[in-house]
Amino acid sequence: MKIQGFWDRKTKQSKSSQQKRKSKQKEVIPFSNWHPQALQFLDWGVTFGSVIVFLLMLLTRFPGMELLGIGPNWLLIWVVAWSVKRSAFQGALAGIVLGLLQDAMTSPHPTHALSLGVVGFITGLMQKQRFIQEDFISIALIVFGMSALADTIFASQLSFTSDRNPEDIWIYYQRIALASAILSSLWAPVVYYPLNRWWESLKLAEKLAKSRF
Amino acid sequence: MFTARRGWERKGLQIGLIAVVLGSAWLVRETQGAALLELYTGVGKQFQILQPKPSKFDPLKDAKVLELQAQIVDLQNQNQKLKSLLSYVEKQPAASKPIPSRVIGRSADNWWQQIIINRGSSAGIKKGAIVKAEGGLVGIVDSVTINTSRVLLITDMKSTIGVNVSGSGAKGVLRGNSSGEPVLEFYEKVPNVKVGDVITTSTYSKKFPSGLPIGKVKSLDLTKLPASIAKIELFPPISSLDWVAVYSQPRKQLSSTPTATDKQPQKSN
Repeated sequence: MKIQGFWDRKTKQSKSSQQKRKSKQKEVIPFSNWHPQALQFLDWGVTFGSVIVFLLMLLTRFPGMELLGIGPNWLLIWVVAWSVKRSAFQGALAGIVLGLLQDAMTSPHPTHALSLGVVGFITGLMQKQRFIQEDFISIALIVFGMSALADTIFASQLSFTSDRNPEDIWIYYQRIALASAILSSLWAPVVYYPLNRWWESLKLAEKLAKSRF
Repeated sequence: MFTARRGWERKGLQIGLIAVVLGSAWLVRETQGAALLELYTGVGKQFQILQPKPSKFDPLKDAKVLELQAQIVDLQNQNQKLKSLLSYVEKQPAASKPIPSRVIGRSADNWWQQIIINRGSSAGIKKGAIVKAEGGLVGIVDSVTINTSRVLLITDMKSTIGVNVSGSGAKGVLRGNSSGEPVLEFYEKVPNVKVGDVITTSTYSKKFPSGLPIGKVKSLDLTKLPASIAKIELFPPISSLDWVAVYSQPRKQLSSTPTATDKQPQKSN
C-alpha cells in the first residue's frame, strides 16, 4: 500500500512537472506574438544572413579548420541542412542559388550550381523524418556522402569541360574527396543545429501567430 | 473563384520570389562577388588587430641576404652596360613600383588555388597584374574589385607558364596540378637539365616578364611520354603566403605573334 502511494505520488509529481515544462515551452517560444508577415521577413533575413556568413567563411581558414590545406565546404552543409526537411524541389533550388553564389566567390567555369543542386535534390528526396533517426550523426553521414558526390560531379565537370589535364584532376580528386568529406561532416552539426533550431521554432511561432491573427 | 484567385496570387508571389532570388544570385555571379568581397575586407579590417603584425614588408634581415642583394645589383648593372654596348633590345621586365598587399583569404573552393589580397583597383591593380612574394612569382591577378583582388596561383591546374631552365636554356611549360609541386613539361625529349637547376619565366611568355625566378628542379622523369617532365619545388611558400607584392602588367610587345610557350588559358573569366 505504502509503495503504491509512493508510486502514485511520484507519478503525480512527474505529471505536474511535465505540465510545468509544457507551459514553460509555450512561454519560451519566441516571436509568437509577432505578426505572420513580420515573422516571414525575419525568417528571410535570418536565412539570407546565414548564407552570407557562410559565404564569407569559405574564404577563411581558421586554425584547426583545415586538413591538408582543405577547408570544410560550408555551402554544401547549408544546402543539406536546408533540404533535409524540405521538398526535393526546394532543395534543388537552394542548391542552384548557392552554387551560383559559390561561382561568384571562385570562378564561374565550370559552375557549382550543378553539384549543389543535385545535392539539394537528393537530400530533399530522402524524407529523413520518416526513415532516418533525427540526430547529428545522420546529418553528418548525409553530409559525408553528399560531399563525396559533389566532388565527383565537379571533378567530372572539370575533366569534360575545361582545358585542365584530366590525369591531374583525378589524382587531386583522390587526395581531396575524402579529406573534404570528413571535414565537412565533422563541422556539419555546427551549421545544422542552430539553423534547424531556428526553423523549428519559427514553424511553431508561425502556427501560434496564425491562430491568433 | 475567390479562393482560386487567392491561390494563384500566392503562387505568383512564390514564383516571383524564386525569380528574385535566382536573379540576384546570378547577378552576384556575374559581378564576380564584388560586393561580397568588399564586405569581407570590411569585416576583416575590424579583426586585423588580432592578427600578428609583421615587423615590416622588407624581408632583409640576414646579413647574407644583404650581401647577395648587393652582388645582384652589381651584376645587373654590369649586365645592363654590356647589353647597351651590344645595343641589345629585349622585352622590358615590369619596371613599375610594387604594391605591397596582404593575403586576407584563400580560395572559396578546394578545386581552385586562389588567394584574396587586400588591395584593388583603388590602389592601381588591374586584371593581369603579376603577383610576387619572397622567393619569386606566385600568381596573376584574376579579378579586381575596389579594395580586393583575386589572384590565381601558379599551382592552380588552370595556370600554364612558359619557363626557361636558367643555365642550360631548356624550355618548357610549367603546369600547376593543385599540389605544392607543379610539373614542368619540356619541349625536348632529352632536355639538358639536372636536379637543382633554377627555373625562371621564359622570354616567350606574354603574360609574365622574363627572368622571374619561380623554383628549382626537384626531380626528373625522362622516361615520361610524350615529353619528359620535372617536378618543381617553388621558392615562395605558396601554402602559407602572408604578404605579397603586386606589379602592374608588363607593356604589350608590338609583335604579338603567338608562340608555343604562351598557352594562354582560353577566356580566363
